[in-house]
Amino acid sequence: MARPKQRSFDLRAQRLKFLLGAVVVLAGARAFQVGVVDAAGLKKNAAAQQSITASVPAARGDITDRSGVELAVSRPMVTVTADPMMISNPGAVAALLAPLLGRNVADIQAKLSDRKKQYVKLARRVSVADANRVRKLKIDGIDFEKTMGRSYPRGAQAGQLIGIVGDEGHGMSGLELSYDKTLAGSDGQRTTVTDRLGQPILVTDSKTARSGATLQLTIDAPVQDQVERVLAGVGRVFQPKGATAIVMDPNTGNILALANWPAVNANTIGNASEYAQRNRASGFTYEPGSTFKAFTVASALEEGEVTPSTLFNLPTVLHIGDKTIKDSHDRGAETLSVSQILAQSSNVGAALIGLRMKRQKLDHWIREFGFATPTKSGFPGEEQGLVLPLSKYSSATVGNESMGQGLSVTPLQMVQGYAALANGGILRSPRIAQRANGVPIPATPGRRVISARVSRLIRDMLRGVLAEGGTASGAEIPGFDLAGKTGTAQKVDPSTGTYSDSRYIASFVGFAPAKSPKLLTAVLVDEPQGDIYGGSVAAPAFSRIMAFALPYLGISPR
Amino acid sequence: MSASVGRRSIEEAIRPRQRSFHAPALDPWIILAGLGLIAISLTAIHGATTNDIKGNASYFTDRQSIYAGIGILVAVFLTRLDYSVLYQYRRLAWGALVAGNILVFIVGGSTRGSQRWISLPFFQLQPSELGKVLLIVAISGFGVEYARRIAEPRVTLRLLGIAVLPAVIVASQPDLGTALVYIAIGIAVLTAAGTPTRHLLAITAAGLATILLVLAVLPAAGVDLLRPYQVQRLTGFINPSADPGDATYQVNQSLIAIGSGQRLGRGGSGATQTGLDFLPEHHTDFIFAVIGERWGFVGAALVIALYALLLWRAVRLVLLARDGFGSLLCAGIVSMLGFQIFVNIGMTLGIMPITGVPLPLMSYGGSSILTTLIALGLLQSVHLRAAHPAAAAVRTRVRV
Repeated sequence: MARPKQRSFDLRAQRLKFLLGAVVVLAGARAFQVGVVDAAGLKKNAAAQQSITASVPAARGDITDRSGVELAVSRPMVTVTADPMMISNPGAVAALLAPLLGRNVADIQAKLSDRKKQYVKLARRVSVADANRVRKLKIDGIDFEKTMGRSYPRGAQAGQLIGIVGDEGHGMSGLELSYDKTLAGSDGQRTTVTDRLGQPILVTDSKTARSGATLQLTIDAPVQDQVERVLAGVGRVFQPKGATAIVMDPNTGNILALANWPAVNANTIGNASEYAQRNRASGFTYEPGSTFKAFTVASALEEGEVTPSTLFNLPTVLHIGDKTIKDSHDRGAETLSVSQILAQSSNVGAALIGLRMKRQKLDHWIREFGFATPTKSGFPGEEQGLVLPLSKYSSATVGNESMGQGLSVTPLQMVQGYAALANGGILRSPRIAQRANGVPIPATPGRRVISARVSRLIRDMLRGVLAEGGTASGAEIPGFDLAGKTGTAQKVDPSTGTYSDSRYIASFVGFAPAKSPKLLTAVLVDEPQGDIYGGSVAAPAFSRIMAFALPYLGISPR
Repeated sequence: MSASVGRRSIEEAIRPRQRSFHAPALDPWIILAGLGLIAISLTAIHGATTNDIKGNASYFTDRQSIYAGIGILVAVFLTRLDYSVLYQYRRLAWGALVAGNILVFIVGGSTRGSQRWISLPFFQLQPSELGKVLLIVAISGFGVEYARRIAEPRVTLRLLGIAVLPAVIVASQPDLGTALVYIAIGIAVLTAAGTPTRHLLAITAAGLATILLVLAVLPAAGVDLLRPYQVQRLTGFINPSADPGDATYQVNQSLIAIGSGQRLGRGGSGATQTGLDFLPEHHTDFIFAVIGERWGFVGAALVIALYALLLWRAVRLVLLARDGFGSLLCAGIVSMLGFQIFVNIGMTLGIMPITGVPLPLMSYGGSSILTTLIALGLLQSVHLRAAHPAAAAVRTRVRV
């Protein structure tokens, strides 16, 4: 027995060697391809399946009143989601969930029945307690995501002023919108490494979420409460379209209360009409009517055209150009002083005072008092009103504007202007936010528009409005030194373009104590029913606000 | 050498001894490659399984160390033993191979639906693993026995049957991978024993026909010999990203792991594919991917290089062996190691089907490492008694 031929054996061994060599080279080459050539892409795949990067919502700053009462807060809330593919009986699940989530059964069922999707949001901003109740049902396919939700502990209070936050956590209206940068903070970024079963293994915050700043307003919650109550009363009695009131410290421009009726609960603002949602203090313009006459008088005093005792002979009607001006109450021809014209709110008198000035002068003063310019109060969507340019003046314009017609203003502009009349002549932007995270927000510096003397004269004359014979004598509070001006303005009927006989804006702007004003309040009632006059609709509301606010704030009424 | 008369006569019958060239020494390269691979294996297993058993970070490492220690002792014993004594036990070896693999059907435990092992105290013996060396011993012995009639078709069929019968038994456990190893061993030994090329071609053709029959023709006729998962695994590697969910999930995760390792690896703590359990079977079948992720291409290349070294030394022994039995043993061992290495690494690299073939010396598993170390012991035994390397060199020159 001999072993197989040596040569062929060697040859076979050589083949084996060659085969093994080829196999080793092939394995090495493939390892090179995977480990070096394709490595970058594969590494990305590893990262993609192993980690999720998501943004961590920053806690939104709270909004408080001037003493820290919470008006808007952020709190953990839950978004309830579902995987419709895992829900076998959408009807039954919807019937269970809808009452707990406070949603419509049909809506929930429709979402759950959308089998094409693997992810639907059933309800956003569900309270943690409600979400836990759903959790206890242990329904497969229902999931929960933590979010920060916005909540307004005082409900409807200052709803339109504060505004709302959208689903993405940014302000949509009101101060939530205009101070969004301050309140929002900055979202963080979190990378979660998960294992094969999706369990989180490692959580790293590549960017820490920075909470938003707390915004401290100038609002005083109890005063705000009283204003809301008074407006609700106005609403009950006069059934107007709406009503707005502003309370301000005329010496600083700080707004202590700002309310719009009908009240809108910020937690459920979506149900309200667009008109109701609007903060009409800055987002609404109107022809001011008689309340504007104080500016006409102040301008004429400043120009030296009149003094409070200058007498005017008032005809029954005044014809200027194509326009006929008459007073609201029929009277014979009479002679009244400037003071009396203001107290009795004579249209003819105001027009005659205005006509003492050149049109350029009147236009100058109107703009000087801050009209036709936004107040820089920091409200979003602030209107600036409309004052005719000189080139558009007709022969009737000066007379018209002198009695508050033919121009439009916002309630906030009126308050700003009246504060300057009251505080000795300094025009200041209304101020609503005073501190961000405790750091004062600087106030816009004021500027002098009229002299202290003219301011004092106007204050004295406006006392007469509430005195015997004035248009708001009924609003007087015994022992209180009040001053102010009524306004009863016809609205332009949008269908005819002329003044309406049935739609009025009744308003009152006033302050106290008259000789040294500490508090200024404006009340505006849009389309009151039954009564239309500023003196009988708006002035009593003013008195009720003042009757609470002055003692509450510790201001001597005299 | 104090060999018995009977054995000596057999050796003389096979081939004249070449005492003059004999230089009794161990092959240091085989030792280096073997120990190096075991060291890498234990480090990789430790890193990959730290979190697998709660409270015992080194559970798998401890066990594999013990298996490796036992295996090394066995290998040392076999080195001292003259491998030629095994020739006379060729029938016993084959009987044990067949009986052991049948035994698992009777007393065996199952892992994921396949019966592969027998529970012993402290150890779960996998007869199909040890069967690999038993088959090598048996088929090499029969190859030598039939050496003179090697050109006869009957002999070819009989030798082939020695490998195919146990392969069929193992395949029905089912353990397709090991069955393929058996076939590979059979073909290699047949080739080395001098089976005519036309027979080998016929065997190859028959093999291809069988594959076609099992994967395509029979399923079309409604007969499924393979289970669906086996078919998916065997065919899935052709397009791994087509179905990342199921059958090819493992290959994708393996490729991602090796790719993530890039050139120099992500280190032990950065090996997230392994650590987060994305890579399945990370300490057994896919250990090569663990190495690729942890030590990068450099680590993978080092492992491949150590295997190449091992295979080179073993192939060399095919030529240097003192006798035909030694040559055939080495050819069988080369085939066993080479096939498993290529199929396993190829599997983790996505160029071979998933067959559950362990990576020799690398994958966790007592039976596997014991089998491989027995094979290395036999290689050393052959080397110790081999012709002087110079003889081979001279012969090669003459041939060329």
